[in-house]
Amino acid sequence: MAQRDARFNQTVLVDTTPMPDHIPKVEEIGATSAPLMSASYFIGDRCKAFNDDFMKCKDVANGRGEIDCLKEGRKVTRCAASVIKDINTHCLDQFKAHWECLENNNHQLWECRRAEMQLNNCVFDKLGLKKTIPGTPEGQIPVHLRPKQKYAQYPGPQW
Amino acid sequence: MPQDMPPTGGYAQVQYKRNIPARGFKPAYYMIGMHVIMAYGFYKYFHGVREQRELAREKMWSRLHLTPLLQAEEDRDQVRRHYADKAREKELLGTDAKVYNSDRFIRPTFAYTPANLTQ
Repeated sequence: MAQRDARFNQTVLVDTTPMPDHIPKVEEIGATSAPLMSASYFIGDRCKAFNDDFMKCKDVANGRGEIDCLKEGRKVTRCAASVIKDINTHCLDQFKAHWECLENNNHQLWECRRAEMQLNNCVFDKLGLKKTIPGTPEGQIPVHLRPKQKYAQYPGPQW
Repeated sequence: MPQDMPPTGGYAQVQYKRNIPARGFKPAYYMIGMHVIMAYGFYKYFHGVREQRELAREKMWSRLHLTPLLQAEEDRDQVRRHYADKAREKELLGTDAKVYNSDRFIRPTFAYTPANLTQ
């Protein structure tokens, strides 16, 4: 079926009809790609249960996930929004430094290890959320903790 | 007429060998050197590939953690449009007309275009 959004090149025409009243309202996350990428591992850490629940619901909904999983979807959005809000309250400077670095570096995480380290430490101290990459081979330092980044513009020690 | 014969004592030696000393190392050493350089290159390359694999894993999981969030937002938008479409159809036709013989959620083929510029 039509999996592409309709595109109009002459004018921007968007159906602005609001959601019907019987569906509870939720504020959308409202963050752009760089802050989301910067916060993604913390969102994944705190919201894993909600995320898995939502994806499981979509999986078993037999094609009706869009309507049947609205409740789980709202939980996912509220949880992610809570993470972003907490980071903004406690680690705003480090968060801003990191996502602006990502924005300036084509969203390449390896260019921003210094800012990322500061953000990770701050978030771990204040919120207790930790960045872990699942599936990293045993006995290796995870790539975000390596001081040297081979592919960075400055490949030497990052901090 | 006498036949043309070699001069007595035979012809003089023809100088065909070049009397130049062999330059450089033995060829085998060049072969070994090439392999050493190649081995070093492959060593660095494999380490680079391993790091690239980890970086790819990191990027992939960053996206995987965000996927439910983005999907939930998109689904809400689709459902909002779906209900708006149904309301408009009801207003036009008077009944809840089911277009598809299925209760799956089907993304609309045609988008509703408001009469006035909305954005």
